[in-house]
Amino acid sequence: MAQCVQSVQEFVQDSFVPMVAVLCSEEAERVTRKNNLSFAELLRPFCRLTSEGHIRDPNNQVLVVKNLRICVNNIVTTPNTATAALSPAQKRFLNEVVLSCQPQESAVGSVIATGEYNLNFSATTPWFEAYRENFLQSMPASDHEFLNHYLACLLVVSSTEAVPVEQFIKLSQEQHRIQHSGEYTSPKWFIPNTLKYYVLLHDMGEGDEQRADTVYEDMKQRYGSQGCYLLKINSRTLSTEKDEQIPDPWSQYLHRNSLHSQVRCVALSMRSQGSWSGSGTVGLNYIADTVSNNLDGHPLQLDSGSSSASKKATRESDNTSGGTGSHGTCLSLNDHDHIRQFIQEFTSRGLLSHIEKNIRQLNDQLVSRKGLSRSLFTATKKWFGGGKVPEKSISEPKSTFGLLYPPEAPELQIRKMADLCFLVQHYELAYNCYHTAKKDFLSDQAMLYAAGALEMAAVAAFLQAGAPRPYPAHYMDTAIQTYRDVCKNMVLAERCALLSAEILKSQGKYSEAAALLIKMTSEDSDLRSALLLEQAAHCFINMKNPMIRKFAFHMILSGHRFSKAGQKRHALRCYCQAMQVYKDRGWSLAEDHINFTIGRQSFTLRQPENAVTAFRQILTNDSRQTATQQAAFLREYLFVHKVKHSQLSLPQLPLPCIHSSVTRIYFGHERCLAEGEKQAATHVSLDQEYDQDLAAMWCNLEEQLVASANRGSIPVNFQPTQYCLNSQTDNQRHPLAVVEEPIIVEVTFRNPLKVPLALSNLSLLWKFTADSSPNDRTTPQSTVEPITNEETLATGARLRLLPHRTGQLNIVGVVYSLSETQQTIDLMVCGKQDLNIQGLRLNQTKEDKMSVKHGPDRRLDPIITPSMPLMEVFFLQFPTALLCGEIRKAYVEFCNVSSVALCGLRVVSTHPDFFTFGSQATTPVTPLTPTSAENCSAYKTLATPPQLDSVASEVLVSAEVFSQFSSVMDIPIEGGTLLPGESTQLPLWLRGPDQEGVHEINFLFYYESTEKRNKISHRVLRHTVFICASRSLSVQASASRSSVPPHHSTKEKGSSGTLVFIDVENINTSESGVREFHIIQVSSSSQHWLFVSVLSSLPDCKLGSRERAKLCFRATRCKPPRATSDTVKKYTFADLNLGNERIISSSTPCGDFFFRCRRTPALSRTSSSTKSQGTASSENKADDITNIVKKCNELDLNIIVIWKAYVVEDNKQLILEGQLHVALQSLGKEATSLAPKEEAQEMVLLKFKSELPVPVPPPSAELSQLIKTNLHYPEIYTHPFGHNSLCLVPVTLSLSNCSMALVDVLIDLQHKSNSPESEVHHSFTWVGQTQYKLQLKPQEVLALTLRACFLQAGVYNLNTPRILAKPTEQMSLSETSQQTASPALIIINKA
Amino acid sequence: MAVCIAVIAKENYPLYIRNVPTQNELKFHYTVHTSLDVVEEKISAVGKSLADQRELYLGLLYPTEDYKVYGYVTNSKVKFVIVVDSSNTSLRDNEIRSMFRKLHNSFTDVMCNPFHNPGDQIQSKAFDGIVSGMMMQTG
Repeated sequence: MAQCVQSVQEFVQDSFVPMVAVLCSEEAERVTRKNNLSFAELLRPFCRLTSEGHIRDPNNQVLVVKNLRICVNNIVTTPNTATAALSPAQKRFLNEVVLSCQPQESAVGSVIATGEYNLNFSATTPWFEAYRENFLQSMPASDHEFLNHYLACLLVVSSTEAVPVEQFIKLSQEQHRIQHSGEYTSPKWFIPNTLKYYVLLHDMGEGDEQRADTVYEDMKQRYGSQGCYLLKINSRTLSTEKDEQIPDPWSQYLHRNSLHSQVRCVALSMRSQGSWSGSGTVGLNYIADTVSNNLDGHPLQLDSGSSSASKKATRESDNTSGGTGSHGTCLSLNDHDHIRQFIQEFTSRGLLSHIEKNIRQLNDQLVSRKGLSRSLFTATKKWFGGGKVPEKSISEPKSTFGLLYPPEAPELQIRKMADLCFLVQHYELAYNCYHTAKKDFLSDQAMLYAAGALEMAAVAAFLQAGAPRPYPAHYMDTAIQTYRDVCKNMVLAERCALLSAEILKSQGKYSEAAALLIKMTSEDSDLRSALLLEQAAHCFINMKNPMIRKFAFHMILSGHRFSKAGQKRHALRCYCQAMQVYKDRGWSLAEDHINFTIGRQSFTLRQPENAVTAFRQILTNDSRQTATQQAAFLREYLFVHKVKHSQLSLPQLPLPCIHSSVTRIYFGHERCLAEGEKQAATHVSLDQEYDQDLAAMWCNLEEQLVASANRGSIPVNFQPTQYCLNSQTDNQRHPLAVVEEPIIVEVTFRNPLKVPLALSNLSLLWKFTADSSPNDRTTPQSTVEPITNEETLATGARLRLLPHRTGQLNIVGVVYSLSETQQTIDLMVCGKQDLNIQGLRLNQTKEDKMSVKHGPDRRLDPIITPSMPLMEVFFLQFPTALLCGEIRKAYVEFCNVSSVALCGLRVVSTHPDFFTFGSQATTPVTPLTPTSAENCSAYKTLATPPQLDSVASEVLVSAEVFSQFSSVMDIPIEGGTLLPGESTQLPLWLRGPDQEGVHEINFLFYYESTEKRNKISHRVLRHTVFICASRSLSVQASASRSSVPPHHSTKEKGSSGTLVFIDVENINTSESGVREFHIIQVSSSSQHWLFVSVLSSLPDCKLGSRERAKLCFRATRCKPPRATSDTVKKYTFADLNLGNERIISSSTPCGDFFFRCRRTPALSRTSSSTKSQGTASSENKADDITNIVKKCNELDLNIIVIWKAYVVEDNKQLILEGQLHVALQSLGKEATSLAPKEEAQEMVLLKFKSELPVPVPPPSAELSQLIKTNLHYPEIYTHPFGHNSLCLVPVTLSLSNCSMALVDVLIDLQHKSNSPESEVHHSFTWVGQTQYKLQLKPQEVLALTLRACFLQAGVYNLNTPRILAKPTEQMSLSETSQQTASPALIIINKA
Repeated sequence: MAVCIAVIAKENYPLYIRNVPTQNELKFHYTVHTSLDVVEEKISAVGKSLADQRELYLGLLYPTEDYKVYGYVTNSKVKFVIVVDSSNTSLRDNEIRSMFRKLHNSFTDVMCNPFHNPGDQIQSKAFDGIVSGMMMQTG
């Protein structure tokens, strides 16, 4: 139960006060009416005694009566039966009372913090107190108790009356008639001889004071000085003392009544105020009430009506109702004192002594009766009761809850005495009497009486100051139960419960109080139930261990009943208080229910703000409601919103949820990728997923581009261009957008509900700060397609902004219309949602780590910069699948679609060996338009007749021609700039990657504006292609030194011929329809070597599936480079065509790709070689034997195998061309076109080995190849042995130094080999000088003429000389035996 | 048998609520929520005297017109609430007690699941099965 203003004692005391009736003469009424008050009303503020009264109890002991209050009422004689329930009018009135008493908005509620809860609610419930007070006042007087029966009657007559005494007599008779005639049941009287107190009312303003005094003297004579009073009022005139401020004590007592009358006025608009106020008066009411019989004698208008004689006062009451504002305007403060004095006098002299007298009288009666035997007592009872005892259980319904005593019954006398004692605060005696009466009533089975006695006994016991006995709570419980269940009198039960609950509360028995209150709730009165439930809830929270949840639950129940009773405001308050308990604690179902109710109530109370908030709550929660429920919520929400925001600014909508962090923003046009034949660069689009690795790759490419554009250095403020921003990109800076280029924002919505939502008219909300250009009025516009969001799907909506001016743009939020489904378009709410993106959490400094800080996210705040060029790139005839090494020609078109010229066009790729634009110097004249070039070979060819012993045609080409050794390529467009709207087409050659499989190839095009002073320094365009490479040919090559001197080309010195063997295998396995491969040409490219001739080949060099061919070529060292071109590395290209046309390998596609493919390994090799060089130089660079050896074996010959593949595709035969590269590094080692990866790995290993220089002993095997030896002699020599037994044959031994160093050579002809086989033919001998010591210069070829002497015919092996060699500068080293060539056989014939 | 079975977390938010007449879910939510007051009262009352050997079963929390509400608190202050129809007189205290024990065992199993995040709503088929079994027994 909530806290009350009054203390319990006060409350209980004030609930039962002596009742005093008032009868006024018309004239007296008129006098009081001047003050806008009736006489009873006039007295009301002064009804509490300020001083103590005294009374003597039957034992002549003086009792002090403190703080006594009396109740003065006009007599209303309406036949008001004591019903068991309140009349509808009463109910309505109570309803109004509660309705009018609302908690102040400003009132600070008390905060209760228990455990995890912090509740904020008002501890007081004034509406409940108001209800209680009015309810208790409206209690009809009943027969079983006397507490609210009239004890005395004030007869008021004005001194202006002609004969006041006659009036007094008339009034006295009237009173007597009302009490005793039996006509009226309504005002009940306590004691037959009611105290009559005669009051002469004197109006100071008009009457003659002397006359009044004389009349008063006369009255004193007649009624005794204690039975009459002269009251002088109205000493203040309206006009004179207007300015004087007089307190208005009436307002607090009367405002409810005036309100009441106002309400009634509204309720009964058909009736005039006058007729209504008359309806409460004597005699008139019958006719008046025929109109609405539910208005029968409202007990609450006890004092708003006029006195019995005020038939004519109705006119005046009209006035009163007109000016309800001020009361007591004619009363001065003196008059107030007069009235107070009067009450004092009346109470202490008249009323208390009257009561005292009556108590004594009753006591005497009872004491005398006590002498009578009990049996007699019961006998009288039987007489009076008239055989009620046996019949009570049979037929009459009344008998079920007791019998009716006649007014003079002795039991009632006890009760009467108890009530009197109670009223004068003699609680001990009262309790004893109640207790006695209770026993009697119970023994008579008079349940109603018994319950009344029980109730009062309990109350009296409670109020007893010394409290000799504990408060008998069970009395109350029994009383309530009896009232309710036996007597079916809810009104009394309620009163009892209210008292009991209040008393229990005061004793801290909250749970009992709550139980009591909850028990009193019933179906018959929603208002009562609501109020009691609310009080019960307050009980729960006031317990020692507050039961918060019970509080909340009962608040909800109360709210429900309030709303049923039409008390919307109270209902809302209850739900709001309960909400505090349920909020955010996971009880979503309950929370939703409360929110929904709050929403509804708020809406009906015209608080759409709150309604919207409440409904928002339901919708934003991840609700567990069913779909239908959600749909209902949504509909309600939309409806409320529609009503509320019909004209106001855009509301924030709760639905659907926006994942603001995944918002993506894209700068640029939406692009269509394929446009007929043309294939646009893929660039960036919103459809792509963000990939960290890819982004890093693009950034790296862009860095390369920027570096090349800035002559090798990357500007400090370089930032990679970001076209699409999302949660993973770096959003710390403001992104840059370009004027007239759209900005596309992708907002991701999520529908948390189970019902579909329809969004339409979606658009962006933005703020724009223009760059100081005031005249330019164009602003960005947003254009958006409507979207529908289905179910729980997260959907992204793409919204487009097109900026027309430069400046700072802030994208703030989205605006859209939300509706339920497509069909109910009328229920559509337009609202907005903000886009607030929280940046990444900072985690740099310690401070950041300790607290949760977020960096800025400027994704949505782009800066609009002046226009920039915009380029589109289209690819034509771009393949998707290639054979490894296949060469294809495609076209690329660059198109400047902006209004600004662009320049500095560059491209970089992850696979620079994949494509080439050709070099200008060697670009073959091919048709520029792609259509006409369909069947043309990608190569530049020359028709030549096939020659078997074809001599290679050689071309010397500088590598510079194919320049661009970095991976960045300038794109050779005419003039270097592309004007607005212009487009240019360039051929592009592609070569299939050497590795089979799918290759992702990324291009990054770079361009800048011709105007330099822009915020955006450059722009880039991305393109990604996927190429599927399938296997074609595998080429393996090895080289070996030819031991035979070249006999064909005599001009050659013949020392440095090298044989190159090429193994070609068709490893194409796919069923792609490659029928066969033709090897049409093999070319060499090297700085030092060139192919000279074909030694062996297949006739037409066809390779079917899985076929293999071996080709053999001879290569020779080129002529030494001329002095002029020392610095420039020149490559010699030698083409050996096997077909009938020669492909100029040094020209564009072929040469380009050759150089491009070389580059990749070359780059990595340089890095490793610099290292090894460094170490070598520090040691012994010239002496390094390995170096010499390596040089000696170095070959560095690159072979280009050009093939044609015959492919059948769709019954058409296609010829594909391609080239494969093999780089031969050194003699003897095999090289292959495949698996370059492994090679790279080996290099890495080498690099690491070079770190720790191990002095490797020169391998003898390699040292043995320093000198190449050849023996020249006639193969068959015929000698006439008969003629001359000695046959001398001249043999030329040619020694060629393969190394680049001086070599000391020792030739020992006399050496006998140990091998047994050589011993077989030792029948020849060298003659002449048998030992030579020579020094050979680098690359020198020396011929020695030897002579061999044979003794007989036969076959001899001439290869017996032992040749030892060592580099001259290697002193420490012993000579190494040089490898000897194969046996040199000579046939000596006998002539 | 039971018409509503609820598991409430230590912090008094629901981990699991199932009721048999599914249409009146809200009422049961309110009932269970309100019962927490009594549970807390009982815990605090018992906690003072016999802190260590507390009986987990709290017995009848309170009767309403239609239902009886029984409570059970684990040592980790997770509350189980079983609401039984008042008209069902066949249920003895012992049976309720065994129901709670069964529920507790099943709950422990749920908590032992390494993939269950303590404090999340219980989403376990096994637990569902146990609960359904208790509700079905009325037949």
